[in-house]
Amino acid sequence: MDRRTVLKGLAGAGGLALSGGLSAPAIAQGASARTLRFVPQANLANFDPIWGTQYVVRNAAALVWDTLYGVDAKLQPQRQMVESEETTDDGKTWTFKLRPGLKFHDGEPVLSKDVVASLSRWAARDPMGLMILAIQQELTPVDDRTFKWVLKQPFPKMLYALAKNNAPCSFIMPERIAKTDPFKQITEYVGSGPMKFAKSEWVPGAKSVFEKFTDYVPRQEKASWLAGGKNILVDRVEWLVMPDPATAAAALQNGEVDWWENPISDLVPVLKKNKNISVDIGDPLGNIGSFRMNHLHPPFNNVKARRAVLMALSQEDYMRALVGDDDTLWKPLPGFFTPDTPLYTELGGEILKGKRDLDAAKKLLAESGYSGQPVTCVVAQDQSITKAQGDVTADLLKKLGMNVDFVATDWGTVGARRAMKTPPGQGGWNMFHSWHAGADCINPAAYTAIRANGDKAWFGWPNSPNTEKEITAWFDAKNLEEEKAAIGQVNKAALEDVVYAPTGFFLTYTAWRKNVSGITKGPLPFFWNVSKSA
Amino acid sequence: MLSYILRRIVSTLPVMAIVALFVFSLLYIAPGDPAVVIAGDQASPEDVERIRQGLGLDRPFLIQFGSWVWRILHGDLGTSIFTNLPVSAMIGQRLGPTLSLMTVTLLLTIVVAVPLGVVAAWKAGSFIDRAIMAFAVFGFSLPVFVVGYVLAYVFALELEWLPVQGYTPLTEGFWPWLPNLILPSIALGCVYIALIARITRATMLEVLQQDYIRTARAKGLGQGGILFVHALKNAAVPIVTVIGIGIALLIGGAVVTESVFAIPGLGRLTIDAILRRDYPVIQGIVLLFSFVYVLVNLMIDVVYTLVDPRIRY
Repeated sequence: MDRRTVLKGLAGAGGLALSGGLSAPAIAQGASARTLRFVPQANLANFDPIWGTQYVVRNAAALVWDTLYGVDAKLQPQRQMVESEETTDDGKTWTFKLRPGLKFHDGEPVLSKDVVASLSRWAARDPMGLMILAIQQELTPVDDRTFKWVLKQPFPKMLYALAKNNAPCSFIMPERIAKTDPFKQITEYVGSGPMKFAKSEWVPGAKSVFEKFTDYVPRQEKASWLAGGKNILVDRVEWLVMPDPATAAAALQNGEVDWWENPISDLVPVLKKNKNISVDIGDPLGNIGSFRMNHLHPPFNNVKARRAVLMALSQEDYMRALVGDDDTLWKPLPGFFTPDTPLYTELGGEILKGKRDLDAAKKLLAESGYSGQPVTCVVAQDQSITKAQGDVTADLLKKLGMNVDFVATDWGTVGARRAMKTPPGQGGWNMFHSWHAGADCINPAAYTAIRANGDKAWFGWPNSPNTEKEITAWFDAKNLEEEKAAIGQVNKAALEDVVYAPTGFFLTYTAWRKNVSGITKGPLPFFWNVSKSA
Repeated sequence: MLSYILRRIVSTLPVMAIVALFVFSLLYIAPGDPAVVIAGDQASPEDVERIRQGLGLDRPFLIQFGSWVWRILHGDLGTSIFTNLPVSAMIGQRLGPTLSLMTVTLLLTIVVAVPLGVVAAWKAGSFIDRAIMAFAVFGFSLPVFVVGYVLAYVFALELEWLPVQGYTPLTEGFWPWLPNLILPSIALGCVYIALIARITRATMLEVLQQDYIRTARAKGLGQGGILFVHALKNAAVPIVTVIGIGIALLIGGAVVTESVFAIPGLGRLTIDAILRRDYPVIQGIVLLFSFVYVLVNLMIDVVYTLVDPRIRY
């Protein structure tokens, strides 16, 4: 009997007991309806959203720091801290004006010098920011509420860069904090967002507390993801880290917490049976599973070997290993971009469709020159997503007749090892597994994994000039049609050269007590307009 | 005695230094890089290198170790790579929950296990003895997380008597503090109750065969007096030893217990720090744990002299 089986069985039994209406005195309950208790996806180990780019940091930072623009549920940038913007006819000069009355949590007004310092720090760490920096002529304050960004050439995706929800977001901080070296951590957490961070109550690894910022002036528009009116309807939001999923499930059933960001799929049926709990898809943009092959070393330095793997892999096998039997939680993905988003395409995706052809794949592998050398497959066992995918890959490679050197380790080790460019026998690797938030894969803007510019590319260092050419075409696109055309070609080229192997698209749930209302689906948990009754 | 205690403390310093050097070396030999974890998936190798430089991880091993020792000698455990908070403050935050858990567990263990062992020895061979020993084997065999889940299901989910998780500091009052510790202490204590009950029984059985016990019986002393005044006192040295070892082992058990019951203690801090390669935090915790082991051993030696006046240092 393993730990997972025990927790599933007991949590299930607990859920049934509760739904049966048992009642008894509770020492545990009685928390104020003005405090929303939330179990985040991970521990908030640091709190500098520019220095560290983990999703959990971005999610917490969205409460404390505001952005100039925010992306809405239609994936469009909307004004947030800015009142207006102007661009010259040549597209090279942008002039932005801030909304009046913006204040930081220390009572100081938000001035354009704060914005300039914040954007400079952000740009040094963000892929789109770096692109802007490369063509920047000057970024300067004009007056207290106005600043100007002058470029050497047009950058059509400027507003998207400032609004995007991919980490790092362009959060605005006071100048004195924003002047911190972008490669060093800030120590003050002062923003102008709708909530203040209670640093004195922060226990990294256990608890983070946010208090309502009463001087925050929300926009008048209806809230939509990171855009619109961010009205905070509770006094406090407490993030309680629970490393054990069964404990989180039990705490939610017991009313000790109000909202669990991402319950594991094993426990979802239990939560669904509880009449006091709502369960729904958390992020409609989901995730894209992946494994990457190292393009620098045999056998995967040969495109035939990479294509052989792609021909043989069954995305259904991967997805079932990840989400079990719930067919609503996954879909096949013959490409690299997030399904149900404007630029989604399947162009060139035939290699991932239809019946898997193991014989043809074996033949192609033999043509690549593969002669039985070990394939070092590095798999983090401490993350359920990578572990499940790694197990399927090991089986896949064996079926292909490959000699698998399966390295089961932890994420910290994978993180370090995948950066090694040395051959697998000298500390390097042939394959590792990961996944990408669907929100990052709607276009190439923050989609590091799709880049194929050799040494500058993400781990695996794919070199596909055709893919890169089409990515550049997307950045230069002036309308949606041009964007779609470019993305179709990116997908085709990236599959032809097998930049990486997509293992399918999958969704995850979120769960909350029914006395909580206002929770919306999105790429991160939005706390504005969420209320809680007693 | 005082000079003995001082000598013992001084003699432990080299041991702690060796442990520190060993752990420091081990961390640097082990794969994994905090800069990679911090930089995130979007980062370029150049970004990672700049973060590494910012953290001082690019400096030679001996310089890093020397700098760490120098800071330790000045009472500074360093700063966490991830949280940018002082390690001493992080340990301080987590010490309360772990000490609370260990204290309640230890009290529970002693209160339950010693009488069980005494009764089992007194009724040796009887049904009661067999039942107690069966319970001990059962308690010893069950993993902490299984006991934890069962307790949480029964007492938190079904009966709703106690909370599932969390921790309230003692500063907020005894009654808010205690409920959060009952289930984890039982879960953690099961193994130790079993262990100490068995040791108590075995030691008591041996003592109960001694001549002076026969003499006490012949003099007409009551069973309670024989067991708890004469026998238990003479059986105390091995029991104290096992309890002492148990304290040290509790630290390991606390890691799982704290995770299952979401208690923000040192166990969870340790695991988090190891997974993130947060070197200063790991080093600080290892030093603390080494100190606790040494202190517990010292306390055991001192208690020996109290329970058995024949032992002198």
